Amino acid sequence: MRRLWAICRKELQMYFFSPVSYVAFAIYFVIEGYMFSNQFTTMQIVDVRIIFSNMSMIFLFIVPLLTMRLISDELRHGTDELLMTSPANLAEIVFGKYLSSIIVLFALIGGSLMYPAILGRFGDLDMPVLWMSYVSVFLLGASMMAVGLFASSLTIHQMVAGIVSFASLLLLSMIGMLGNSMLTDWKDTLGLFSLIERLGKFQVGVLSIPDLLFYVSFSLLFVVLTILVLERKRLR
Amino acid sequence: MLEVRNVSKVFENQRGVQHMDFTMQRGEIVGFLGPNGAGKTTTMRMITGYLLPTKGIISLDGHIMAEHPREAKRKIGYLPETPPLYMEMTVHSYLKWIADLRDIPIRETKKRISDVMDRLGLIGRENQIIRSLSKGYKQRIGLAQAIVHNPDLLILDEPTSGLDPKQITEIRDLIRELGERHTVLLSTHILQEVNSLCTRVMIVNQGRLVLDENTDQIGHRMNGGNVQVELVPNCERTKAEEILNGIEDISKIVWDGESNRCTVTSSKSNENGINLNQSNSLNEQIFFAFAKADVAVHELKTRLMSLEEIFLKLTSGGM
Repeated sequence: MRRLWAICRKELQMYFFSPVSYVAFAIYFVIEGYMFSNQFTTMQIVDVRIIFSNMSMIFLFIVPLLTMRLISDELRHGTDELLMTSPANLAEIVFGKYLSSIIVLFALIGGSLMYPAILGRFGDLDMPVLWMSYVSVFLLGASMMAVGLFASSLTIHQMVAGIVSFASLLLLSMIGMLGNSMLTDWKDTLGLFSLIERLGKFQVGVLSIPDLLFYVSFSLLFVVLTILVLERKRLR
Repeated sequence: MLEVRNVSKVFENQRGVQHMDFTMQRGEIVGFLGPNGAGKTTTMRMITGYLLPTKGIISLDGHIMAEHPREAKRKIGYLPETPPLYMEMTVHSYLKWIADLRDIPIRETKKRISDVMDRLGLIGRENQIIRSLSKGYKQRIGLAQAIVHNPDLLILDEPTSGLDPKQITEIRDLIRELGERHTVLLSTHILQEVNSLCTRVMIVNQGRLVLDENTDQIGHRMNGGNVQVELVPNCERTKAEEILNGIEDISKIVWDGESNRCTVTSSKSNENGINLNQSNSLNEQIFFAFAKADVAVHELKTRLMSLEEIFLKLTSGGM
């Protein structure tokens, strides 16, 4: 546990050393803030859904920025030799890194609490919808971070990792649309794998256990895949 | 304490390491020599657990790396070719982090870190960002990282490469000092380093271990495994040749230019060179043969092969 936490803590430090993460934080708060104020001032209704309507789109851009460095940078600078020859095993290393990205995600989402605080001054908030929506974007973000982490383990180049995770996340977000337009026969099956469509139930205020399990197992799958990729590097 | 048993590593499309087989005892400083791409780094990476061998067993004090990696890894300190540093960290926070990663008891952490900083001359640089330090200091931090958990076995991959002569001497002195407390395996290109630091030398070529010998013995490996003795007899060449031909072991006599110095080669040899006794016996035979003929011999010595010669010989495919 101490080793896992040590790795997590180091990654958190790295987030604050890296200019890329500041860019990501800025994109998140500027775009989210702009969208919120724009919609709120034009529609003039107290509706918590306007906070969340754009988050998945913003995540699509910032998650690759926040995760591309995680493993590729270690591979590039040879520090993976340090990690892998330490008593920490691969699971501790990878989960430690993943945990750090989750903490950053948590902080980012926590930052958006200012929007319901603003809304709350003008009317009553729909609390179940609000909190379940928060749960949903957190789950969505965590799943996307896992994909980003996985992409980062595939290459020693940050940029390549970033592009790979952006492309895969884009595909996973559009999979539902694909079912609507081209592959209509597969609509239902594809919908099951859509990261976005799974948000629906949470965002009407329902805690949907199957969807929760989907996001959790989706994240775990990619974290485990990351471990396997790194394990394979040792065997070659 | 370290056992490497018949270890091979096969990479996808190239040869890695084949049938590496050696042991290391506590207190040894072993130099690992070989041309680039011979398999030194691969072997070291397998010992440290970074790579898994395709075949064979590596164990440390009975802990097999493949089965109990955590116990085995705790006993090893490793400095890869490029020191694994996080450039943005300060020296102290980096070592503190290593201490956490390496399972050093929290109560001891502070003491260990200051102890290591003291030993490696890092005092006064605690709060400097690693990026801002010179290459020599980075190498020191790399060494600090490798010894902070007080490992039994220290593995150093080309610890002096890329340093200036002053830094090289400093790092070498440090390694010599470390050798008093730890068992050390170091790879290098610099043969002189092996002579001055190591108690034993191993040479690898094309993934195979081609020589494994103590440094004080190594000079006695002769040309092609033959014994060579250099002498200066105080008589005519013909007379000397007559005497030398009387010794049945001698197969070749070569005179050095116009002088009276000659090198004789003994045919009695084994595949992997000879030991001291064999060369002494040839010396003795020559001595008594000349004495019998009442001829003085001004010089008589076993010709030793330098490490450079041996290295070139072994790694250029000869022998």
